[in-house]
Amino acid sequence: MVQVEPLEEGEQPQLATRTEGNTNEAFHPNLYQMAPERVPALHLNLPFILDDLKTETSQKQLSTARSIMKSVDQPFLPPLDKATHVEFLLSPLDEGLSGGFVGLDASRPWLLYWCINALSLLGKDVGIYNDRAVSSLKPLQHPSGGFGGGNGQAPHVAAAYASILTLAITSYYASIGLPEDERLAVYADSFAWIDRGKLLQWLRKIKLPNGGFKVNEGGEEDVRAGYCALVVLALLGYDDEDLRGDLSRGELPLLDGVAEYFKSCQTWEGGIGAKPNAEAHGGYAFCVLAALCLLGDPEEALSKTLDLNRLISWLSARQYAPEGGFSGRTNKLVDGCYSTWVGGCWSLVEAAANAIESGKKSTKMNVGDLWSRKALIRYILTCCQGPRGGLRDKPGIRPDYYHSNYVLLGLSAAQHYYYYDDVSVQSPVLTKSPFRHGYRWKSSKNVPKPTGHDGTGGGWLEGLVSEESDRVGVQHPLFNIPLGAEGQLQSWWEWFNDVGDVDALSSEN
Amino acid sequence: MASYDSDEEVDYATDPAWAHITPLPQDDGENPLAQIAYHPDYVLAMSYLRGVMAINYHSAQVLKLTADIIGMNAAHYTVWGYRFKTLVALEASNGFEDEKTNWSWRKELDWVQSIAKQYEKNYQIWHHRQLIIDHLNDPTGERERTNEMFASDSKNYHVWTYRQWLVKRFNLFDKEELDTMELLLKEDVRNNSAWNHRYFITLGRLGTDSPADGVIDREIKFAKVAISSAPQNPSPWNYLKAVLRKGNIDLASLKAFCEQFAPIDSEDEIKSSHALDILSEIYDETGDFSKAEQALVLLAAKYDPVRKNYWRYRKRLLGSSENVPTASEKTPIVHATV
Ligand SMILES: [Zn+2]
Repeated sequence: MVQVEPLEEGEQPQLATRTEGNTNEAFHPNLYQMAPERVPALHLNLPFILDDLKTETSQKQLSTARSIMKSVDQPFLPPLDKATHVEFLLSPLDEGLSGGFVGLDASRPWLLYWCINALSLLGKDVGIYNDRAVSSLKPLQHPSGGFGGGNGQAPHVAAAYASILTLAITSYYASIGLPEDERLAVYADSFAWIDRGKLLQWLRKIKLPNGGFKVNEGGEEDVRAGYCALVVLALLGYDDEDLRGDLSRGELPLLDGVAEYFKSCQTWEGGIGAKPNAEAHGGYAFCVLAALCLLGDPEEALSKTLDLNRLISWLSARQYAPEGGFSGRTNKLVDGCYSTWVGGCWSLVEAAANAIESGKKSTKMNVGDLWSRKALIRYILTCCQGPRGGLRDKPGIRPDYYHSNYVLLGLSAAQHYYYYDDVSVQSPVLTKSPFRHGYRWKSSKNVPKPTGHDGTGGGWLEGLVSEESDRVGVQHPLFNIPLGAEGQLQSWWEWFNDVGDVDALSSEN
Repeated sequence: MASYDSDEEVDYATDPAWAHITPLPQDDGENPLAQIAYHPDYVLAMSYLRGVMAINYHSAQVLKLTADIIGMNAAHYTVWGYRFKTLVALEASNGFEDEKTNWSWRKELDWVQSIAKQYEKNYQIWHHRQLIIDHLNDPTGERERTNEMFASDSKNYHVWTYRQWLVKRFNLFDKEELDTMELLLKEDVRNNSAWNHRYFITLGRLGTDSPADGVIDREIKFAKVAISSAPQNPSPWNYLKAVLRKGNIDLASLKAFCEQFAPIDSEDEIKSSHALDILSEIYDETGDFSKAEQALVLLAAKYDPVRKNYWRYRKRLLGSSENVPTASEKTPIVHATV
């Protein structure tokens, strides 16, 4: 018989605190003053129930779980080896890429975004890349509007998304600490050349009558396209009127049917697929939840358009033991990139769950974490760090730039509390934006424990970060860029839409 | 000149057939980030492609050029898109019948299949195939093509997306489709993609319509048999719940079935955490909160401990109106007969 514990937040083994020292030798126990931490039992055993029937799926799962079990069983959680990850991520920016990367030639803006955002998560000042990001991305703007995956390539919504995110990050860093005029001049260099009129016209062409979007003209339809389109619109300062469109020219409101389309992608499993009827998948779930949270407050957006309870159940089933990481689909293996795609969903659904519970009790309630932050952190630190830098899917698989960004972003989701703040006052311009809800997210290093049924109790979760040097940067939970970058960009558009005298700005410099 | 499906190499810079195209260089901007050190063949072919696109040129030669580029970079969506436009233009001008061209939609589909086997994670290939089959308005042989792909990866998301499109576009909600899913699930009852497709063809396509007589019972039975073969497999449990929901059948009708796999008072006989999960919902609905909590505690402590926080949340919701079905959801209460 197993000892049955009460279901309250029990005493969990505390992570040992590492002493100052050479963290590269993390495996050497002499470096630690404190006793080794206890590895939680869930990482040390295969699941209690394993069916006898063997199939390809169960055999792959079992052998993966067995090999990962050896990696996660470490009394000293290895540190985040920031220095070698930084080296890995700087190399494509500073030295370029070999011919073997030709398969990413239609994803050039992605390469920039993955590396630059990952570097920002690792604490690097990526502002130094702003000028080169601008000169790299300008040739990708298509004469008829939008961005291609490379110069001369057809416009693609994911290329536009990755381009805008890159510029939002580098201009944010490049303008930190600058006086107002110089800050605006940085943003002018980064954004004033984008033809927003043509971009909007192009987005109208990939919008479908069913409320979905295609990734490009003649391309495939999926919720990734819709999410990318909404992020581009939200970050480029369009207002209600722009999106409403000109009926005399046959234009319909661009956001018509969009939320309904996203909702129709919730499946029989409770998760969310690439389009209606497609299999539930973590990557597409994130796209839909983030997009819906751009269109409304989390409670409204997630509980009124989706079956939230079934969604939470499916999301929760993505976390596996002994691995600790997330899988993307039912009966598939864990993979580091789902640390973002699934891990990033939690702050959104928890915000909705908290709002619902607070509404019921008429007092501020917090349901606490619905997932295990610590198990994910353990998976990331023990399994997803490549020995020569970069982050990866799982042990035995080579690190790459995509996984580096999304593993670190997921680590940020696990280390921080991201919450929706509807109390703070927004700028008068933003209050009229259809995407205003997306600008209300905040972060805290303190992760609250659940409040009791009377709203009391709570307290903070301890031991998520054993050493401050393991902490990664805070990110906006919908845009996946450094938190704060979205607000700076928004204030630039407010200035640009209102004053807009870009020439005067650059002459002052 | 070589026919356009040959592997023979073309030197675009010196071949007279290409003399009328002005190659356009790529502008990577000043001091670009993450520049790729392309192979010279790729640089050359891409500059000719830009030249071709600039004058909107669609001839049989473009098939060779685009095939060359796709051979080096199969994820090049612009090239795929331009190739499709070229194929349509060639057909319209009877260009396929030209001896030198020696091409057909059928050849194109075979070529695409060979590429698909090399690049399994590719978005563009299956979309290209979809555009062609849509254009031809004929799905003959297409189910077989996707079955071939399932032989090497039975969970390939792009292939399944294509398969769904095919079934919807040509109304293939038939016995063959159901039999294929049965076969795939016989090979691996944990193939969740096959379960998803089965749901789509039996119930998912109906929208708000009611299923035909017997379908709900048949699907309940199918899921229960699958569960009995491997009770810890989440797919058929999720499926079973979804079928009940679609059929407006009370979850409580599963009580005895679940208790077989999770007798909560004889812990050593528990064979399925999913049965425990459903039982906690059933006990909650029927007001047996202490048993509901007992099931959740077992899940948190023993059977699914990494989800402890979730089980705790579920405990928090016990007895809340959220969890109790509304009157309209509850009626009519039809108990499954299988
Ligand atoms: Zn991955």
